[in-house]
Amino acid sequence: MMKNAFSIARKEFTDTITSKRLWLIAGIFLLFSIASTYSTSFSFMIGGQQAVRPMAQIASTIASTMAYMAPLLGIALAFDAISGERERGTLRILLSRPIYREDVVNGKIISALAVIGLTIAVSSLASVSVSILLHKVAVTLDDVARICIFIVFSIVLSFAYYAFSLFISTFSNKSSHSLIISIGIWIFFAFILSIISSFVTIAVLGPPPTRAIAVFNRTRRGFGNFTSPGVPASELEEYLSYMRKAAEISSIIQAFSINYHYTQITDSLFGFAAGPLGFGQRERTIASIPTVLSTRLIDIIVLIVFPIVFLVASYMVFTKRQEK
Amino acid sequence: MSLAIETEKLVKIYGNGKSMVKALNSIDMKVPKASVFGLFGPNGSGKTTLISILVGLLLPTSGSARVLGFDATKHSVEIRRRVGLLPEGFGFYDHMTALENLTFLATLDGIPSDQRKKRALRALETVGLKDRADAKVSTFSRGMRQRLGIAQALLKDPELLIFDEPTVGIDPEGAAEFRNLVRRMNREGKTVMLSTHLLYEVGMICTHAAIIREGRLLVQGSVDELYQSVRKEKGFRYEIRVKPGSEIPLQEIRSMPSVVEITQSDNRVTILSKNDMGSSLFSLITKSPYKDLVESLTPVEPSWEEIYRFYQEGG
Repeated sequence: MMKNAFSIARKEFTDTITSKRLWLIAGIFLLFSIASTYSTSFSFMIGGQQAVRPMAQIASTIASTMAYMAPLLGIALAFDAISGERERGTLRILLSRPIYREDVVNGKIISALAVIGLTIAVSSLASVSVSILLHKVAVTLDDVARICIFIVFSIVLSFAYYAFSLFISTFSNKSSHSLIISIGIWIFFAFILSIISSFVTIAVLGPPPTRAIAVFNRTRRGFGNFTSPGVPASELEEYLSYMRKAAEISSIIQAFSINYHYTQITDSLFGFAAGPLGFGQRERTIASIPTVLSTRLIDIIVLIVFPIVFLVASYMVFTKRQEK
Repeated sequence: MSLAIETEKLVKIYGNGKSMVKALNSIDMKVPKASVFGLFGPNGSGKTTLISILVGLLLPTSGSARVLGFDATKHSVEIRRRVGLLPEGFGFYDHMTALENLTFLATLDGIPSDQRKKRALRALETVGLKDRADAKVSTFSRGMRQRLGIAQALLKDPELLIFDEPTVGIDPEGAAEFRNLVRRMNREGKTVMLSTHLLYEVGMICTHAAIIREGRLLVQGSVDELYQSVRKEKGFRYEIRVKPGSEIPLQEIRSMPSVVEITQSDNRVTILSKNDMGSSLFSLITKSPYKDLVESLTPVEPSWEEIYRFYQEGG
């Protein structure tokens, strides 16, 4: 049974690896990653500050680019995986062979895993390597391990979107419909949900106190330093209390977003603790890898369960659907 | 009679409630082995649904279907291992060459790796595309794609070939080649089932036929049986050709008991009779003094349009 799946996977892999679509996405990712690491180091130079762990700083910047590119890669590989075969009539030819329907889905998945793995690993390592050479940064063994973990979770994120888009593709007769739905979901998770969370936060807590904003403006210059001299402790507490509540509401709403869970993991991995309502702060110390993995266990589970759910759904829809 | 395909009370319903469509309505069909079986019906009559059920692409709502002795719902993979199918509305991977497409499909057909290329080239040669083996399918015309479709069905050298609208898009020359191919396959002992909405195709190559309309099988049997049953109802027709410029007396023929109608035009006399009177007509003419004026006496088979109309009106 798997023999046929591997035959399909081999063909799919060759088709994808030689497609312009894949090279375009990988190229854009590489370009954005390197450009963003440049802008990060430039902002440090202007601010006259030293990053605590320069490699983590660079990887963190690459991770924020990856948060956008990995889903797009998954969608690009899956949106026409089944619906495209259906549109072109090649599904009829495939299903007229002595194979099981599962072979078709398995073949697509095996190929996608290989392509996603290869693309993300190669482009991440290329971005990191180029950045290291450009910024002349020292790399420790711990940095390498963190980058490897980051690559694994980026593959999982991309595969999560692949699984979702594949699911849409299994019941869609037109690839354009499948693409629109998949991109719509990505936009919702990546952009709209955070806007919604801001609206809900303000609706629940009301606008932040005017004085609290003034406090924030005075303290934001210092990374992680909320005890700026000259700011009364009561005002600081008022501000922090508001922000803590806002962060709680925001995290509850964004828990529905797969992107959010990925960002939580990569932020912890590279020592970037996102502040409430999008204002961030850089932690002075970076937690050890085991600590990151244990504190982010829920995020990891969600990230892994999401694609599994949609893969199972894809199998169910495709094997039950009758192709005339 | 050994059967290649047998269906029993086959029903297929699409949708439910108000949108329910009964695509197949209690189909009992028997396709004898080593026959060329034509499944004729207008567009939307249920031909493709029936074929899809036979190869396990669709599940019947009720009833059963057996293909080469295998149950179509339980052993569809075994069926597809033995059946070469040309589905309707199929496509190929345009970015690949004809040979690459067929080699890939041969892999899925389970053909050993050392034979794939050889089989693919042979199939391409059979359909007259060997010289285009290395051309990308994107450069193929519709007719060439259709021929490539036939080639992929031949890859595994199947016992049974099922062609769904095989000559759609093929030029007359290609259609004639296809008919020759079907005859050759049949001579090799293969069973060929083809669905078509073109009546003349059934008459030209089929040994057996069935007419399907609105999901119901109106009639099935050997082509001779179908002719015979129409003749029995509509009468037997004979044509006498006489030498140009000559005429023969018709009184004797008109007085024969079963003759219903005689029409004459130019050097042709058409006789419609209630019963089969071929031998008595032959005897009458050969013994008559005007026998030298007669060039030929032939029975006129009912046309497939007549057969279809006959069964459409209730047979």
